[in-house]
Amino acid sequence: MKMKKLMAMLLVASLTAASLAGCGNSSNDGASNSSSTGSSSTDGSSTDTSGSDTASGETSGTRIVPEGEELTLTFYSADGQEDPWTDPVALAITEATGIKLETDYPVGDDTERISLMIASGEYPDLIFAKGDAGSLIDAGALIDMTDLIEEYGPNIKKLYGEELGKLRYSADDPAIYQLSSYNVGGVSYKTAGTAQIQWDVLKENDYKIPNSLDEFETMLKDYLAAHPTTDDGYETIPLTLSTSDWHWMITFGNPAGYIGEGCPDNGEWLVNENSDGTYTAQFKYTSDKIREYFKWLSRMYDEGILDHNFATQSHEDYIAKIATGQVLALADADWDYNEAEQILKNDGKYGKTYAGLPLTMDANTKSHTLMYQGLTTGYGVGISVDCADPVAAIKFLDYMCTDEAQVLRWWGIEGVNYEVDENGVRYRTEEEITKSQTDTEYSKTTGVGFHGYPFPYYGDGIEDSTGSTYTTTSKESVIAEYNEEQKAACEAWGVELLTEIFPQPDEFETPPYSALWAYAKPNEFTEIESILDEIAWPALIKCVTDPVANFDANYDAMLADFEANGLAEAEAMLTEIIQEKVDMAEN
Amino acid sequence: MQAKAKKAKIQKQKFSWELMYRQRYLLLMSVPFVVWLFIFKYIPLWGWTMAFQEVKPATFSLSFFERTFVGFANFQKAFSDRIFAQTIINTIGTSILGIALGTISAIVFAVMLNEIRFMKFKKITQTISYLPHFVSWVVIASIAKMVCNDGGLLDRMTGRDLKLLSTNSVMIWVVICVINIWKEVGWDAIVYLSAMAGIDSGLYEAAKVDGANRLQRIWHITLPGIKPTIIVLLIMSIGSTLNVGMERQMLLSNAIVQDHTMVLSWFAYLRGIGNNNYGVGTAIGMFQSVVGITLLLIANKIASLFGESKLI
Repeated sequence: MKMKKLMAMLLVASLTAASLAGCGNSSNDGASNSSSTGSSSTDGSSTDTSGSDTASGETSGTRIVPEGEELTLTFYSADGQEDPWTDPVALAITEATGIKLETDYPVGDDTERISLMIASGEYPDLIFAKGDAGSLIDAGALIDMTDLIEEYGPNIKKLYGEELGKLRYSADDPAIYQLSSYNVGGVSYKTAGTAQIQWDVLKENDYKIPNSLDEFETMLKDYLAAHPTTDDGYETIPLTLSTSDWHWMITFGNPAGYIGEGCPDNGEWLVNENSDGTYTAQFKYTSDKIREYFKWLSRMYDEGILDHNFATQSHEDYIAKIATGQVLALADADWDYNEAEQILKNDGKYGKTYAGLPLTMDANTKSHTLMYQGLTTGYGVGISVDCADPVAAIKFLDYMCTDEAQVLRWWGIEGVNYEVDENGVRYRTEEEITKSQTDTEYSKTTGVGFHGYPFPYYGDGIEDSTGSTYTTTSKESVIAEYNEEQKAACEAWGVELLTEIFPQPDEFETPPYSALWAYAKPNEFTEIESILDEIAWPALIKCVTDPVANFDANYDAMLADFEANGLAEAEAMLTEIIQEKVDMAEN
Repeated sequence: MQAKAKKAKIQKQKFSWELMYRQRYLLLMSVPFVVWLFIFKYIPLWGWTMAFQEVKPATFSLSFFERTFVGFANFQKAFSDRIFAQTIINTIGTSILGIALGTISAIVFAVMLNEIRFMKFKKITQTISYLPHFVSWVVIASIAKMVCNDGGLLDRMTGRDLKLLSTNSVMIWVVICVINIWKEVGWDAIVYLSAMAGIDSGLYEAAKVDGANRLQRIWHITLPGIKPTIIVLLIMSIGSTLNVGMERQMLLSNAIVQDHTMVLSWFAYLRGIGNNNYGVGTAIGMFQSVVGITLLLIANKIASLFGESKLI
């Protein structure tokens, strides 16, 4: 659920771009080899004069369709946004491979799009279905890529290395239907932690890191008492949440697990290791510690710390509130609120931006934020049965895995977006970094990072043969990009990286199962899971908004409702799925 | 309405081949529409067979005979759903409330417009009032939310927590109904206005001579004059009691009030398309249609019992 519709709010499709795509794109007939000659590749070379020589020098072997021809692949991305395929990086990819992507993305609910695709039986060539891949696989809409990867995918194999096997679907059906849309290996240099608090609030508390909910609460209350309104006259809201749609899982459900249990992200589930080394799945809202977190929220609601309008506000309202700087604390994921933070940064209100905290219920609970959960599988790009030329598609995906494409996707064009120093190491100029941080359209116009996710990529901190990292994020770059508030905090805490205040990755073992939220699960299971969620969502909000005196009665009623609607069955099914994955990983 | 009165006078002719032959051109002219009706309204009914089969993504592409027949299992699944009973209550409640308040407000509005003597003002008012009808629910809902949400315009104006969209009770039916009236009242009034235009102006003049005041003229002439129209529209709306549009329900809903905003069409969508269980979705849709037809027949019967013209 984590990255669900990360970009969906960026639906502001510019008409100009749409019409450009309409004109420039002559061949729309899926994957026929006889596509017309495109004029755009020449545009590409004229845009990047310095980069093109090196690019064309190396790319002679990467052409998938003959020189002068172009092939358009249709691509549905559940996290996609308007992509006319006209930015310099896109053009460079086309120049290297002869492939153009025509991206389609959901307007509204992404689950429905996949359902409608199945109902109509018409699929685009490449599909990134996110959480709905299970249904597509059930419907027989994705092809098994195992043999194609074997034959045409040396770079895919190189990228995934030992973790390639994790892409297999199940023990009964060991096919590879999708690649992974997440990082392979790597380190997290940045994290928003389990909860976020404004730097201004931290400063008033001498950078004290709250290590229990009580301390967190005191900090918020003290600050509220001292500053009932912001400098601009907005009423201070100590804590707000976004629960009007699927975001409830991100700002309401997930933090309950991270803070209450200190658990890593397994979606709506907790995985308990039994004494005999097997694993048992537990629906997370049945945990007592998570219950305690919601009870705390309920008390905060009664005391006016939690925003009284949180339950009916839309996500846009939520973002707008944060962007005024009036919200002291959040329990969210960085990608979910960074739109608002960007506005604060543009206004220069760095003190109102957020520090990620390793907040947990009490000092005994350890935050698993930085743990590497292994390759996240189940979310990824797959090739559909309707793709006329699967070989071209796999070659394209393979190209996206090459070092050349990784650099293109994350760094952009040499001489334009990045430079190479005398040691052959890539770096970005100060100016470029500033631009990338402040210009909200940067990624879209330059193409840098725009074609990264959901195609396969190396994690942060992994270096290629030149000694530079594959992504633009490295320890040095992260430190260099810290703003004044972050620098002050590093000094106060005596650390180099802000993530050092978290329990470090080496304190955790990578579990043999990958993150549960991303698994492509069978329909029988998701049907029950969606009913459980359907019960949990309103019930939890009721638990919080009702007076805390009614909390236990409300929560028990919800638990009884779970029991009556297939809780035990779902837990048993998931336990079995986990065990199967563990067994597959061991063999 | 007058056309109807005339039709009643024409004696019903008995069926005969000779009659058919005499009216052959009329019959010929109706053929395209019968064909249209057959293709677009009857052939799709074949899809109802999905209600008796297991149709999930894995079996969707199979042909009719290759799918598993499950009898009434899909219906059973839908009827035993945890929110089914509440959904039915919501659907009927929202619908009856909508029909009652919607009809009354449209009639009141039409009467008021009809009584306006300043034509220019009347025209402008009418045009403005039916404009929202053409605006998508997405837009209407976001405007309504700005006004009615917690901390919205109304809350700030009254300085109180009205909780219009966050009270989990039948109050949300009323709120949604009122928003719907705001959107549709001008449009619904058009039919009544045209019915009023058909009333013989001699009646009004006679009443005036007899000393009837305005209210009396409305009560004794205007309202009886549009009564047949009201009855016909009511019968038609009763037939669609279960077809509460789901856009407005979905768009104005939130987690708190979802218990009271869930209606059948949304439920069918949620369980059918949402859960990729098309068989169940079809079963719910079929149930909706069958109940709709039954209600329509009952309403028609009742109307004829009261001596009003039958619709069918």
